[in-house]
This record gives sequence, C-alpha cells and structure tokens, in this order.
Amino acid sequence: MGVQALLKYIIKKIVTMIPVLVCITVIVFLILHLAPGDPVDLIVGPNVTPEVYENIRNKLGLDQPLTVQYFKFMSNLLRGDLGTSILQQRPVSEIIIERFPVTLELGLSALIISFAIALPAGIIAAVNRNSWPDYACMSGALVGMSMPTFWFGILLMYFFAYKMRLFPISGYGTLRHLVLPAFAMGLTDAAVTARMVRSSMLEVIRQDYIRTARSKGLAEKVVINQHALKNALIPIVTLLGLRMGWLLGGSVILENVFSRPGLGRLIVDSILARDYPVVQGAMIVLTASIMAGNILADILYAVVDPRIKYN
Amino acid sequence: MMSMKRGRLLTLIVVACLVSGLIMTGCSKPPAGNDASNQPQAQEKVLVLGYDRDAETLNHIKTSWYSDALIYIYDRLVSRDYNFNYKPGLAESWDTSEDGLTWTFHLRKGVKFHDGKPFTAEDVKFTIDTIKNPDTASPFAGDLAAINEVVVKDDHTVDIILDYPFPNLLFNLSNTAAGIVNKEAYEKYGDEYGSKYVVGTGPYIFQEWVKGDKIVLVKNPEYNWGPEWMSNRGPALIDKIVLRTIPEENSRLMELETGGVHILRNVPAAFVEKLENNAEIEIVKGSATKLGYLAYACDKKPFTDVRVRRAINHAINREEIIQYVFRGVGQPAYGYLPPALQDEYYQDSEKDAYKYDPDKAKQLLAEAGFAGGLKLTLSSDNSTENSRLAQVLQNQLKQVGIDVEIQLYDSSSYTAMLKEGKQELFIRLYSWPNADILDWFLLSSQSPYPNHSRWVDNKTDEMLTKAARMATWEERAEEYKKAQKYLIEQAVWCPIYVPDNLIAVRKEVKNFKYHPWMLQYNDGFDLEVK
Repeated sequence: MGVQALLKYIIKKIVTMIPVLVCITVIVFLILHLAPGDPVDLIVGPNVTPEVYENIRNKLGLDQPLTVQYFKFMSNLLRGDLGTSILQQRPVSEIIIERFPVTLELGLSALIISFAIALPAGIIAAVNRNSWPDYACMSGALVGMSMPTFWFGILLMYFFAYKMRLFPISGYGTLRHLVLPAFAMGLTDAAVTARMVRSSMLEVIRQDYIRTARSKGLAEKVVINQHALKNALIPIVTLLGLRMGWLLGGSVILENVFSRPGLGRLIVDSILARDYPVVQGAMIVLTASIMAGNILADILYAVVDPRIKYN
Repeated sequence: MMSMKRGRLLTLIVVACLVSGLIMTGCSKPPAGNDASNQPQAQEKVLVLGYDRDAETLNHIKTSWYSDALIYIYDRLVSRDYNFNYKPGLAESWDTSEDGLTWTFHLRKGVKFHDGKPFTAEDVKFTIDTIKNPDTASPFAGDLAAINEVVVKDDHTVDIILDYPFPNLLFNLSNTAAGIVNKEAYEKYGDEYGSKYVVGTGPYIFQEWVKGDKIVLVKNPEYNWGPEWMSNRGPALIDKIVLRTIPEENSRLMELETGGVHILRNVPAAFVEKLENNAEIEIVKGSATKLGYLAYACDKKPFTDVRVRRAINHAINREEIIQYVFRGVGQPAYGYLPPALQDEYYQDSEKDAYKYDPDKAKQLLAEAGFAGGLKLTLSSDNSTENSRLAQVLQNQLKQVGIDVEIQLYDSSSYTAMLKEGKQELFIRLYSWPNADILDWFLLSSQSPYPNHSRWVDNKTDEMLTKAARMATWEERAEEYKKAQKYLIEQAVWCPIYVPDNLIAVRKEVKNFKYHPWMLQYNDGFDLEVK
C-alpha cells in the first residue's frame, strides 16, 4: 500500500467533506428557524414588555432576514466561531467542549464492553455452529437486540442501583457513575456485533485455505485463532470507524435516564428551547466527527487488508 | 509473514484500547472538589436537591429561569416571611413620602459580599440601574418600570423615586430577580459573571457549577444578617447544598428513595401515594400560588358572546377533574388568583362563580343560538397532566353539546401557536405570587400575547391600571378584588384548579419549614449525617 496514495486519498476525502458540511449547516439552520417557536420566549417568560422583547430579538439578530442570519453564522463559523448560546449566554464552543468528553467517555467504554463480549461470543457461536453454545449465544444476542437501550438501562438501574444499591442511580463524575450506562449501551450493542462476528467467521471457515489448514493436520485452535479469526475480523475492525456516529449519538436517551450532562442531552434540551446556535454548533461537531470516522474506517481498511488500493 | 501481520493486527487493537483507556481516564477524572461533594467526609452536612432542569445562567438579571441557587446566593432588599408578608431584608426599614413617589430604604450595616467587599447603597443603585438599562435587555426591566431614578443618599441610605405610585414595589424588590449584585464583581467579570463567577451576600456561597449536572454552594460562615422572621439569623446549619439536575422523572424519584437526593419539589401527583407509604419520606403539601385554567380566544366567535363563555364555565366539573386528573391533590378554582395570595384574593370568588350545571350550560348555549351544539378545537401543551386534562375536558364539554378536537403541542410550538392566534379553547397554568399577573394576561396592551385570551376591554384596563397605581398596598388589594369580581362576571377564563405544592422530604432533613415561594434552607434546617 502506497502511503502517498493513501494520503492523497485522505486529502481528497476531506475536500469532499466541505460541501457536505455546508449542506448540513443549511439544512440544520433552515429546519430550526422554520420550526415554530421563539427562543426569546424562553429567555424572557411571559412577563415582559414588548420593548424589552424587541430589544432582545434585536441584540440576538433574530429580527434580521433569515439569509442575513445565515451568512452571519457562516462567516463566524469560517473564523472558527460557533456563536453564543442564546439561553446560557456563553460561547457555544465552550459549552460543547464541556459536554463532548462526557459523551465520548460513555461511548468508548460501551464500545470496549461491546467488543469484549461480542468477539468471544461470536467466535464460540461460529465454531460450535448449530450446537448449544451457538444457540445460547445467539438467543442472548436476539434478546439484547430486541431490547431498547434505554429500557435495558432502566432495568439495570432498577436492579443494581435501586434494589441492590451497588451503584448510584444517576449523575456523573466517578467511575461508579459510568458502570451502569456503559453496560446498558455496551451490552445491547454487543448483541449486534456478536452476530456480525459469527457470520463473518462462518464465511471464513468455509474457505478453501481453512480446509487446507485443517487437512495438513493443524490443531483446531491454531486454525481458528491464526487462520480464521484474523481474516474474519477485517470487516469488524473497519466498522470501528463507522461506529463514530453511534459512539456520539447513540446515548441520547441514556444520557437522560442516567442524567449525564452529555452532548446528546445538550442537543435535545437546546432543540426544545430553540437555542439555535447551540444546536447548529453541536450538529456541525457531530457531523464532522462522523465524517472523520468514515475516513478512519477507510484507513483501517487499508491497514488490515493489504489487498485494498486507493487511487 | 503470517506472524508479522498478526502482530500488526494485535498492536492495532492494543493501541486502540490504550488510546480509549487514556481518553477515558482523562475524562472520568473528576475536577478537584467534585469528589468531595459526592462522598462527603464524616460530619459534613451536604443537602442534595433534585431538579428537572438546570440553570441557564446564575446572572439573574439576564434570565427569566431562576434557579433556586439564586435564592441562597443573593439577598434582596425586602424579604417575604412564611405568610407572604413583606419584611426587612438587606433594607432594615423603609418609608414612603406622602405622595407615594419617594421610597427611602435604610440599609443594613456590616453586610459583606462573598468576596469581602462591604455592601453599600452603590450596589443597590447599580443593581436597579443595570436591570433598567435597555442595553442589558433584562426580562425583569418591565417590573421596575415605575422607577424613575435611584439616588444614593449615603452609604446606607437610598431613595427610589417613582413616576407614579406603585405599592407593588415591595413585591418586585423581594423577587429572586431583584437579588443585589456586587457592583465591582459584576463589572470585573463581565460575560463570565453568572457562569464562572457569582458573588452575592446570601447565606450560601457559589462554589462550582458542572453544567447539566450540578451546582454546589457552601455556607457563608460570616452570615449574620438573616431576616428577623427567621429563627436562625446566623450562618446556616447545613454546610453545603448541591442542586442536581436529573431530567428523568423516574430517576429523580429513585434517587429520592435511595437517598441520593434529600428534597424534591413539584412531585407529580401520581407518585404521592407510593411515596407516602415510604417511612423514609414525608410529603409536605401546601397551597401553591398557581392557577390552572381553560381559556378561549375572546375576540373570536362564539366566545364573543358572554353566554357562551358562561356556558363553558357551567359545563366544567372541577371536582371530577381534581379526582381523576390530579388524584385528589389540589383545590377547585373559581377565581382568577390563587387563594394563597391572602391579601389580594377576592374571597367571594366561589360564591359569585359558575357552578357545575350542565343543564344551565345547555340552556345558555341555546339562548346564544347554539342549541344544535358547537364544534371547536382545544389546544394544550403535551405534558402528561395537561393532555389528560384535555381529554377530561373534552368529555365534559361533550355532555353539553360542545364537540372539541384536541391539539397537542410541544411547549415552544404552543407559545408560537398562541402568538399567531390560532387558538380557540386552550389550557394554561400560571405560577406567580402576585395580583399583577392579571395585568400581564388581561390588559388590552398585552394582546395578542401574553394576553392570549385576546381580551380587549376598556373597563378591565381601567380597573387594573387603577389598582396597580393606588397609593398603598391595602387600597391596591381592594381594587384588584373589584377587578376579579368583574372578570368572574365576564367569564373571561374558566378557572379550573389550584394545584398543591408537593414537596418530598427525606427523614434525614430536620426542621423542614414550608414556604409558599422560597424554601429557606438557612432558617434552622438541619441534616442528620451517618
């Protein structure tokens, strides 16, 4: 694999990201501003004179035509300024930086839990295809897949925090606060991943070179671990990059259930309050992260599979 | 070759794990001081309060969403005791000139801000001037519109000069929004005031705010200027107050039951029974200064006809609503103010009002020419209680021949819809401890919003304006009562219920005292710690 080719490919990808990001800003901007509701109502409440109301609209620039507002927003964005929150009256970038790690922390721990469970489960299921370990793993996976994450979170909270009092019910800050939401998110995701590992493994096991390995008398353990697993993992590893969206956006409801002050909750709260700059800023950061994840997936793909060439 | 590739894959996985591990430890490491608030050391008394919503800013001048933290960080010139009487706060006493236009406030001496600066008349002038300055765009500015000028006489005397007599000044100066800020600190911290820095004179000092998670306050050891009506005027007994944001209702309740939270305000009526069976929790009930009502666009047909408005009032069975929607918690409402406002409430509201009488309702509708029935829309926000209320109302109105179609909105869209004036029948709930709420909702100048009943009536304007500008509090109250009587006559709204404040308190909290507007945790509240 030519490093230069890859670099060129990445740059090309980044360049194509720009129009997509611009489209996203237009869509988010329009949807927000065309939706009924006015952020000023939430700042001032009903007990306000029309003069103060107009004064605030004017200060926020909300009295200007939408196109003017959009271009102001974009020109600030190009200078790296995401604007100021209408309700909190602080820079949006500051708010997002506070919330981002909270969400990332949960997403990454869930990812680790998910893979730590899904890999062995999927392999065991594939190797023992159509026997009880396979059935056990796959029915477990089916249950996990069918259960909404937030519901599973509430169940975990009910048993481990409310009944057994092993963990705090909700909140944020210590490792103990992280355990339940991370398992809720990780276990439900493990179900999906385990099924992927199993089917990918089964496909590889059917290949000629596995039969060759077996027929030359290698121990089954060696065949599975060295020959089959490595190739079976290629699609799984590359999917890591595509998981970026799930990692950051998959925990919105969990963040509410466990009162974690993360990005998802910020977006939901801000949408309800029509805090336009915060929603716009957060959506841009989210979109950019997902795109970065896609590029990462491409790179991983090239790293783990030498057959891939980028032109 | 094989083993080399294998090595590469392994390294990759290990590196991925390491990186995520590193980020995680980086993230999960709590900021200094954070840990202490979660796991208090022995003997430190930490009171934890649960809320559904975080503060937006702790600069009360620039918001209309007042976090309870503001009550404890700041003091106000005037305080309100447990019976809603206006009592000295940072002002030791005040007197009014004969024409009612000059109010002289004598300020308490020896009061210090949390940063050590002494409190003076300059801070009072600065606070009021800042609120009134149009550039600040303070939502509270309108409430102080009567003030023409604030004059500093000396360090501890300040004159407030009014444009017209305005007895409600005492109420406005005792509001959370009127907390006195420290001029120096406010100017020094600029935009960061209210989020990183907050400086008041109150019984608790701002320590930390983890946005979306919690606000931490520590007690002010120098505090000895509590209002005279408090049993404890010195430093609070509780060392720390943590105000946690827990958006999910069920999580909040579980936190309360497991002791993660000591006090919850606004407990939903549906949970009262369960909590009352819990020996560790007491439910404190008190009449709230809230009013839930059915309103209608008075400028649209058929609501222009007073007979139709009265018919709707007769059609509503309030007892049934309280039983089935609010599980028996709350009182039926007939007047336009909550009865908890003892001075201002029109005591004959119930006597004058329209009792549940479906036959009378039908008769009135027939007189108005709607014997064949009516088809209308009923709008509401989509909260659980209000959507249930809408269904019961739909059913009750059907009994008198009014068919309604329910339309539910999220709260922002609801406000937008009301502003556009698309409403026919609609449900509202206000929460406000003063008769001036009638001005906000019913003066012609406030139409179409916040006067969303679109009630434009000269007589109402005259009566309310007169009431607001009477020379004394008592005369003002009398005039407001007359206005309420008139509003009942005109059936401008259909008042339905006054909810109870439901406060759940864990048994570790000692000396809990109910206050209808601001709980005073520094007034002798104590906490048992294990």
